[in-house]
Formats: sequence, structure tokens, C-alpha cells
Amino acid sequence: MNALLQVCQQQLLAADAQLPGHDALSIRRFRQEAMQRALQTGLPTQQMEHWKYTPTRWLTESAYAFHAGGCVGLDPEDLKALLVARGQVHHLVFVNGLLSLPLSGLDGLPAGVQVESMARLARESPEALEPWLGSDVTGADQGLAALNQALWPDGAFVRLASGVQLSQPLQLLFLTTSFREPIVTLPWSVVILGEGARAQVIESYATLGQGDHFTNARTTLVLGQGAQLDHLLLLAESDRAHHVGSVQATQLGASRLAARVFAVGGALTRHELHVALAGAEAECHPDGLFVAGGRQHLELHSWIHHLHSHTRSQQWFKGVLDGEARGVFNGVVRVPQGVREIQARQQTDNLLLSDRAEIAAKPQLEIHSDAVQCHHGATVGSLDAEAIFYLRSRGLDEECARKLLVQGFIDVLLQRVQPAVVREWIARRLNSGEVAS
Amino acid sequence: MNILEIRNLHVSVQRKPILCGVELALQPGEIHAIMGPNGSGKSTLANLLAGREECQVTAGEVFYQGLDLLSLAPEERARAGVFLGFQHPVEIPGVSTARLLKEAFNARQRYRRLPEMDAIAFRDHLGAQAGKLGLPADWLLRPVNVGFSGGEKKRNELLQMLVLEPHLAILDEIDSGLDIDALALVAEGINALRDPGRATLLITHYPRLLDRVAPDRVHVLMGGRIIVSGDMALARELERQGYGWLEEVAT
Repeated sequence: MNALLQVCQQQLLAADAQLPGHDALSIRRFRQEAMQRALQTGLPTQQMEHWKYTPTRWLTESAYAFHAGGCVGLDPEDLKALLVARGQVHHLVFVNGLLSLPLSGLDGLPAGVQVESMARLARESPEALEPWLGSDVTGADQGLAALNQALWPDGAFVRLASGVQLSQPLQLLFLTTSFREPIVTLPWSVVILGEGARAQVIESYATLGQGDHFTNARTTLVLGQGAQLDHLLLLAESDRAHHVGSVQATQLGASRLAARVFAVGGALTRHELHVALAGAEAECHPDGLFVAGGRQHLELHSWIHHLHSHTRSQQWFKGVLDGEARGVFNGVVRVPQGVREIQARQQTDNLLLSDRAEIAAKPQLEIHSDAVQCHHGATVGSLDAEAIFYLRSRGLDEECARKLLVQGFIDVLLQRVQPAVVREWIARRLNSGEVAS
Repeated sequence: MNILEIRNLHVSVQRKPILCGVELALQPGEIHAIMGPNGSGKSTLANLLAGREECQVTAGEVFYQGLDLLSLAPEERARAGVFLGFQHPVEIPGVSTARLLKEAFNARQRYRRLPEMDAIAFRDHLGAQAGKLGLPADWLLRPVNVGFSGGEKKRNELLQMLVLEPHLAILDEIDSGLDIDALALVAEGINALRDPGRATLLITHYPRLLDRVAPDRVHVLMGGRIIVSGDMALARELERQGYGWLEEVAT
């Protein structure tokens, strides 16, 4: 058996009693069943269709260890750049997998908004979690997601009662600190919006230090009738880190989801978005951007399931690749038989800044109904030499011209981020990485 | 000293000779017009002066304010005060005209060892120039030339010229695609930069712009050479007769 699977199975046996929810039969059984699924499915390999572009050797070659979680001696100053401006967002900070209350700030949460640790909820009121345990991941070959389901130690639980509006964004920061031996963290977060509730949730992943570690993350989003969620994901871990994560959204009628992902970090980062549009007039707007340099490998996958008639999806994914970086976009749109009046748009545009960078952009439409308006497009190009000359003729040197053109390429997705304080923070985080440097 | 001096210039594009011995000198304060039939090398001359790589100089020299222009990179020419108004201005998605001009303006300031202009002062400077051209307030925040009509693109070129205040402006068919009102604004812009320290080279097909800016000299470029020079009377003659009567001179 694969070393990582073995470590995980041992962890479930050895630490079972410490895992949150152990005392609740439902949660304990769910963890065990998930472990069985993980063992059956096995870890992903490039023989699996949806993993064929994803390097997987690191999964078998690296020895990731579990860590007791937490970290002492972290100064809030260390986190300053990693959080949207203090005082303008509510925030929960998780360090090496566990919630750190001293680093978090939830002052002034309005009534009807519950934000807390999944670990605490599983221990104190496991029945509140039970309805969300079985929210399955719909993609293929989900061995890693099953491992998360078996072993998650903590995460954020967010619930808005019907009609409640969260006026300030809520940020969930998942931070890993470097250790001598690389560790694996498996956060699971759940965000539930009651009927007509509205919120913005920013989920960000970062590393303190330059070390390797493995984040196997999972997020469950549930949007009630008419709810509106702006979910923003920033993947900006160390250039030696590995990240495989998924967001699973279920939308009831007339709900609206903006799912934005900005991926800049990681030696390997793979993000999957799964959306189930399960009620009339539900719509989702997934946006995605990856910016990769060096030998980074970044992947964005989306699976949009139009399960109900009269639903809409509109996706725009962009990639910028420099050096020897590799990028993958795989967008699946599924419309089953009998579902009507669907509008689905998908666009992916990619910019290659070097001869050695590579992109695999693959739209995958699985339409089994006639009453559908479906559009998709994919472009791959390099910087426009004419535009570079134009900018140089105005006095900008070539490097500055290229940087401005790259910024221009990604700006359209950045400008969709509101409010300005969040947009500017994202822009700073993009610039602190390898973007157009 | 001449602002621009071109001596016996030979230029090839993709190994095909386009300019074959151009001689031209612009003194401070002068506006010269270059006219000529399609394919005579007018745009190649403009592009060569701005530093486009495709233009290979096979012989000759170009001096700008005494500097060897051909030894400078395109951005160095711009910072030193050379401006090309493009015949076909390029669309730059995601980059606003304000952003482009702030970068360009401050690059020039740094080159000249002058202080950079801060954001507020620059915004005012920009706003004032845009107002002169009758451009709407949100114009500056729109991506450069994206979705602009031909005439709007030309006005945007002129706005950039007014903001960057070049010593040598080369305007390649700045008047094409303009309606009468826009043409008047563009002419005003060109005249606004007419001062004893600067010079302008206008490339055009039509005397209607020249009527409004009154060039000091009018040259005809044919077969890669300037074959005749004169004043406004020459431009009017060309409009009346076309270029046919000059073909003998050209060959």
C-alpha cells in the first residue's frame, strides 16, 4: 500500500479517539466509511482520466507526517500581509490545521451568524453537523477527498440564518508553518446560507516559511433559496508546497454563487470546483486565475451540474504561465436529459510568457438535452509584440511593458472582486508572488 | 541644432528596400508634412524613427537633437522626447490610458533626472489635457483604445502627445478617420505644441489638416526618396493633380 495511505490509516487507528466527533456514532462511522472508500479508490494516478495531466509521484515519494496541530509563538504581526485589512473583515485563523482563537477576530458578528470551529461543533453538538456529512464530492477518482472526509481535524463552520446579511467579509485563513519534516493538513469547512442570506467568504491558504507541506482541503457550500454567496479562494502557499482541494457547492432555487479562485502558490496546486444547480433560477459565476512561474504546476477544474431546468452558469478562467510552468484548465458542464432552458457559458484564456511553459485547456461539455444555450471558447497566446512596441514607444522599458500587459490580462477578473479593500489585498498578494516580475 | 536630421537614409523591411536615400532636416519650431502615394515608404519612415525592429537601416544616419537616434532603443527615444502617433493605434486590454500615461510620463521624468509627478498632480495634468480635446471624464480610465472607433483612437494618440510634450512628434495619418469637428480639435492640439523648442512631422494624404496647421514645408515621398519639397502650394497642387505628374521625377 502507498506510504501516505498507510500513514493515514494508522492515523485513523491511533488518533481516532482524538479526532473531533469520536463520541458521535454518525461521525465515527462516516470517518471509517470514508477511509474504506479511500483505500478502495486509492490515491490518484496519471492513469485516471481526470488526473492524467497531474503529476502524482510526489504522493508516493514524499513522507508526509501528521502534526498535532497549532503553533505557539505566532505573532499577529506575522499574519498582517496574509489578512485583508484588520478591522474590515471578520477572520478565523487556522494554524497547521487547527483553529487559533488568539489570532482570530470575530467582533461584531451580527445576530443569526454562527462562525466556529468544526472540531468544537463536532464535539459539542455533532447533530448539527450530521446533515452535511454526506455532501458528496461529485468528481471522479476522489481518493484524496475521501482521506479528508476520514481525517479532518478542524475547519470553519459558518451558518447564516434566513434573511441574514453579513455586511463585512469573513476571511478564513489556513496557515501552515514550515517544519523539518513535511506535514499534511486536512481542513474541512462548511458554509451554509439560509434562505435569502447574503455573505462574502474569503478562504485563503498560505505558508509561513518556504517549506514543503501538503494541504488536502475540502469546502462545502450550501446556498438556500435566494441566497447569495461571494466565495473567494486564494491559493498562495509556498513554492514547495502541494495543495489539492475541492469546493462543493449545492444551490437551491434563485440562489447566486460567485466562486472566484486565484491560484499563485505551490509547487503543485490543484483546485476543483463542483457546483450542483439544484433549483430553478439558480445561477453560478465561477471565475478563476492561475499565475505560475518557475516549475510550478497549477490546475483549475470546474464541474457544473445543471440538475434543474432554468439554471445558468457563466465561467471565465484565465491562466498566465512563465518559465517552465504547467497549467491545466478542465471545465466540465453537465446537462442531464430532461433538463431544459439552460444557459451555460465557459471561456478560458491563457497567456504563455515563455517557450517552455505549457497549458492544457480542455472544455468538456456533456449536454444530453436540446433546450440549452451553451457557449464555450478557449484561447492560448503570447504577449502581443505590437502592444509591447506601442508601450515602448511611449517610454516604458520592455520589462515594464510586459508587466503592464500581464496585469492588463488579469485585471478584468480582478476588477470583478468587490469591495475595493478585498480587491486591493488580492492584487497585493498576486504581486508578492511571481506575477509579472 | 536641427531637431531632426536624416542623411542619405536607406531602410529595408524583410530585406526589401523601402527607403532609398532620404534627406530631411527639421529645425526647431517647424512643422513639416510628408505626403505621397500608398506604399511610398511614409509609414516605414515613421516606424524607423520610433525604433521598430523590423526596419533595417542599410545605410545613412539619423540625428535627433545631435544624438545618434539609431543607437537608441525605442523607449530611450521616447524618453528623450520622440513621439510616434500610430497610424493604427494598438488596443491594450486591461490597461487604462491614465495608467499608461503615468508610467510613460514618470519614465521620462526619471530619464531627465526630474522629480516624478505624484498621483494627484498627474491626474490634474491629465484631466486638463483631456479637456482640451473634448474627451469625456471616464475616457482616461478606459482600457487604451479598446472598443474605440478609428477617430477615437486618433484622438487618444493626440492626448498622449499633449501629455508627454515631445520635442519631436511624428504623426502618421493622425487625420484619417476623423470627422470635421475632431479634425479641428486635432489641429488645435498640434498647434498647441508649436513652439520654438519643438518640431512636428505630419504624414498625411489630405491637405485639409494642413490647411489648419500651416506646415513650414511639404515634402513628397515617392519610390523611397523625397523627390520634391515646397510649401502649402505643393499640397494643393497634389490635391488637384494627384501624384502622376511626379512619376517622371521619381524615376
